[in-house]
Amino acid sequence: MENKAGVKKPKIECTNISKFFGEGQERIHVLDTIDLSVKENEFVVILGPGQSGKSTLLKIIAGLYKPSTGHAYLDGKEISQPGPDRGIVFQRYTLFPWKTVMGNVEMGPKLQGMPRKQRRELAGHYINLVGLNGFEKAYPHQLSGGMKQRVGIARAYANNPKVMLLDEPFGQLDAQTRYFMEQETVRIWETEKRTVIFVTNNIEEAVYLGDRIVVLEGKLPGKMKKIYDVNLPRPRDYTDPDFLELRHRITEETELTL
Amino acid sequence: MSNEALLPTSSGAERPKTFREFVSAVFKNVYVLYTISIISFLLLWDAASVLNLLGKFLPRPMEVVYQLYDMFLNPLAGKTLLEHLWFSLRRVLIAFAIAVAIGVPIGLSMGFSKYVHAIVKPVFDLFKPMPPIAWISLAILWFGIGETSKIFIIVIGAIVPCIINSYNGIRLVDPELYDCIRMLGGNKRQEVIEVTFPAAFPAIFAGIQISLSMAWTTVLAAELVGAREGMGFIIITGMNVSKPAMIIGGMVVIALTAWAISVAVTHLERWVCPWKTKLE
Repeated sequence: MENKAGVKKPKIECTNISKFFGEGQERIHVLDTIDLSVKENEFVVILGPGQSGKSTLLKIIAGLYKPSTGHAYLDGKEISQPGPDRGIVFQRYTLFPWKTVMGNVEMGPKLQGMPRKQRRELAGHYINLVGLNGFEKAYPHQLSGGMKQRVGIARAYANNPKVMLLDEPFGQLDAQTRYFMEQETVRIWETEKRTVIFVTNNIEEAVYLGDRIVVLEGKLPGKMKKIYDVNLPRPRDYTDPDFLELRHRITEETELTL
Repeated sequence: MSNEALLPTSSGAERPKTFREFVSAVFKNVYVLYTISIISFLLLWDAASVLNLLGKFLPRPMEVVYQLYDMFLNPLAGKTLLEHLWFSLRRVLIAFAIAVAIGVPIGLSMGFSKYVHAIVKPVFDLFKPMPPIAWISLAILWFGIGETSKIFIIVIGAIVPCIINSYNGIRLVDPELYDCIRMLGGNKRQEVIEVTFPAAFPAIFAGIQISLSMAWTTVLAAELVGAREGMGFIIITGMNVSKPAMIIGGMVVIALTAWAISVAVTHLERWVCPWKTKLE
């Protein structure tokens, strides 16, 4: 589905990004000359097998890593450090175990100094959005994997970020929960549109979620291999012939073996 | 509670029908087994005593109970059993408080700053393996045989786990939690308040717990030399007057106190860290 609203300036722009880790003999080349631009409210999936540098790319956009060469921009301003204008969701959930669901979700606004009553209301809204109403007082260890990740999504949303960055968020979930969370992701995204960059190693997940799929090369250093526009109407159906055809095409053309 | 399920019971909901089933249900109850364990231990002990297996210095369990009862009512060296216990406890608590007040900040600053760590670590590593009892003679030369030397020795023993655990607690915080708080817009100060301290807290608390039991172990050693009161004094007196029942009685009270302290601390922990799961 091409962006309905017509031409938009890029929200995220990556130019010529390469990344090395380590020094001398130990140096590992992780990303090689990545150019990527993401439009406002676009859902871009970065698809690649393990060890393709896709999480590294996400963390560069997050500002957690600095690129070795090249630049990443958000709204035309260079990204140099982490910040609340980008919300991140981690594969390992990474919730604050000593905080309740409410405590986790309200953390962002709290750090910005929003008054308690106001941020509780805001957090409550996002807890509702992800379908966790009634669990405000639960601690993370009392929640299932899928519920933990809902908290992670709500926590990222609560800061009202311009961009959502999701790093294999459903990688640890069982297949059923994973399908369900994919549907939920689309529902949440359609309720509160954001620019989304979603990293995964799962082709089906990529086709289900993405407006565009950026495929990275299967071994280090990660290079852009191909970009697919996904023009399937939403909500998508995993068993729709067009869906399966695209899924098959990506598998064939990129020789991804996952 | 989960202990009860240690052994498979014949379907808990149904009432046993035959006598055989009843007996087998009784013997699968873990508390029944606990009781059997303790009773057989006491019986073996009693038999060993009656048969003089360890010579004449092994009293019968009942003699120990009588001795405890006697010390509870009649003062020994001017103090009853509970007063002796209180003297030991007081030393432990004072020394423990000092150890926490010094040790936790040292460990924390080692965790926060690698410079502090590099300065403190070599000296700390040198002192760490020295058993606290090795300090007794020196402590007496420095501080005399009064309270100060005893408390000094206990502090030496109790401070080590405080330092180690506070340091490790800070160092072993999941780095992704820092990534997370920075992405949420936290500054350096907020990182420390919202992540470092709460994340390190369980480890620090565990260190304090170990420190308390170390203090309780060390107080006895400290009291074996030149004390006129305390549980260590009771044990030494028992040896001097050849009353093994007094020694064993002292040991029993010490064990029970240690157990009570650990139960209390566990409850305290559940209260201060409600996010920790039961299994941890």
